[in-house]
Amino acid sequence: MLEVLKPGLETTIQDFPGRLGFWEQGFPPSGPFDMWSHRLANALVGNDEHAATLECQFLGPSLRFQRGAVVAVTGADMAPKLDDLSVPLWESFRVRAGQVLSLGPVRIGARSYIAIAGGIDTPPVLGSRATFHMAGVGGMDGYALKAGQVVPIAEAEGTLGCRVPEEFRPEIRAKKEWCIEVVAGPNDDWIDSAGHEMFLSSPWFLQAKSNRTGFRLGGPEWTFSEVATNKRPEHGQDPSNILDHGYPMGAVNLCGQTPIILVVDGPSTGGFINPYTVISAAFWKLAQSCPRDIYRFKAVSLAEAQGRRRHIDAICAQAVSG
Amino acid sequence: MIYEEPQFRPGGDRCIEAYFGDEMSFDLNFLVHSVVRLVREADIDGIIELIPEMASMQISYDPDCISYGDASREVMSLFRSIGSLESLELDSRMFYVPLFYFDPWTRDCVDDYRKTIAEKEWDGDYLVRLNNLESLDQLKRVHSASDYWVAALGFWPGLCSLMPLDPRSRLIAPKYDPPRTWTPKGTIGHGGAITAIYPDRTPGGYQIFARTPMPIWDREQRLRAFQDSLALFKPGDRVRFQPIDREEYDYIDAKVRDGSYVHNYVEYERFSIRNYHAWLATLDETERPF
Repeated sequence: MLEVLKPGLETTIQDFPGRLGFWEQGFPPSGPFDMWSHRLANALVGNDEHAATLECQFLGPSLRFQRGAVVAVTGADMAPKLDDLSVPLWESFRVRAGQVLSLGPVRIGARSYIAIAGGIDTPPVLGSRATFHMAGVGGMDGYALKAGQVVPIAEAEGTLGCRVPEEFRPEIRAKKEWCIEVVAGPNDDWIDSAGHEMFLSSPWFLQAKSNRTGFRLGGPEWTFSEVATNKRPEHGQDPSNILDHGYPMGAVNLCGQTPIILVVDGPSTGGFINPYTVISAAFWKLAQSCPRDIYRFKAVSLAEAQGRRRHIDAICAQAVSG
Repeated sequence: MIYEEPQFRPGGDRCIEAYFGDEMSFDLNFLVHSVVRLVREADIDGIIELIPEMASMQISYDPDCISYGDASREVMSLFRSIGSLESLELDSRMFYVPLFYFDPWTRDCVDDYRKTIAEKEWDGDYLVRLNNLESLDQLKRVHSASDYWVAALGFWPGLCSLMPLDPRSRLIAPKYDPPRTWTPKGTIGHGGAITAIYPDRTPGGYQIFARTPMPIWDREQRLRAFQDSLALFKPGDRVRFQPIDREEYDYIDAKVRDGSYVHNYVEYERFSIRNYHAWLATLDETERPF
């Protein structure tokens, strides 16, 4: 059991791959935003990659362990400490009963993952422990952690002294500019060639009003093709309006002139076009970036997107060495 | 129009969008649900889930099990096996939804919007004026006269898009601009040609004029109707609104609160598009009986 002393800014329970099978009714998959760091955290403590971890955003929590456990912290650097001593990222270590693990304000990146051997053992809702706090589903009573709560942990021995070598970690640096790979579509035909050129050559900045639902971008004006400007009235008045359709994970959703990248807790459907979609292998970069960071988008083929995804899968399967 | 064959477009490396046409029509939506049913029954290895929408469906897939090309081809061949639209039938549950028209809570919500965001005509009056109706009473009669088709769910858990099956009940309304920051749980709203039930207190943009005490989503799964799912409706269900007064609203609300409310729905009906078209042909749309 874990006692929450300080909850941090918004610390949620997330499992991988999240809540599948209920998207049709409006429940997004949720799950860890940086799936790469989540999976490595689990691998370090000997958990299955599906086990639930804590996702900490920008300011981490302080947690008192009511019994001993094997723990690992991955992802963003929030200077984790065990009582008063620093503990390393990307390594498994032992916590004794009564000790306090605390993560501070983020120094590099945006999201840290805390895995505990055995995994977090809250009751699954619709097949998943992932928190979808917008609707109060999953996690601890539906929402982010609150001070005073006690988080149940399943029993497991765990694997001590494991480490992820540097070359297998996502490259989370204090950089302010990221290259984000996208696949064209589903609605790339609604944008004219000048619009495509503009999107792929311009720097886009991440606005502060961004969260696990959507990442709001600032940048130049879009221009549209005939498909967007000469359409049936039921699509809506704005060039970016389309008859309600599904929203894929990672969609670059164009609302008027504002692109919003729809991420893990994003809406399932709606009436705006998605000219591009961020590939799953680039999600960790979104998860580890901060407001005012700059994105440059690079169009890749579907085959390249699949190759990059398989590469990360392979790393997660073999990265941990004891 | 309804396309001769669906158009497949990639949505990143894990989703496919299949567009079946570009119009808002019952026939097109029925086609979407018919294809969705076939794809579900085929149980194709690697296809994870489907989101039916107005004129399209989203397919999410596991790229380690099936490629974009193979998944699209499988769906295309199922589409080709469908035959004529007229021959299609779908099981369709009918839900009876008690509705308190022109209730005080949605009025308060509109008043709050006028005070804090923007001045606007009260939504009930606005709908009457836009749709050339005589009175609020007629709005209630017209709105509650038709059965509604659950065309799609989404955006928010349980939020449903309802299409009137009786063309004589078709109403139009623009959306709020800017949108509301809150809407009471259970509010009925109308935007474009679609009626929606707000499952919870959420932001919103539809014109609002009624409220149901019957929950359509329950994250605690207290009532029996939510045993298997947090959301009540599935696409392809139908809804019939039953006007109630304040007294009945309070009675139902109390039953919901003490956990004894039982949702009223029937599960024995099958919707035939041929029969529906035949019925439409008998209607004189210029004569509104209500």
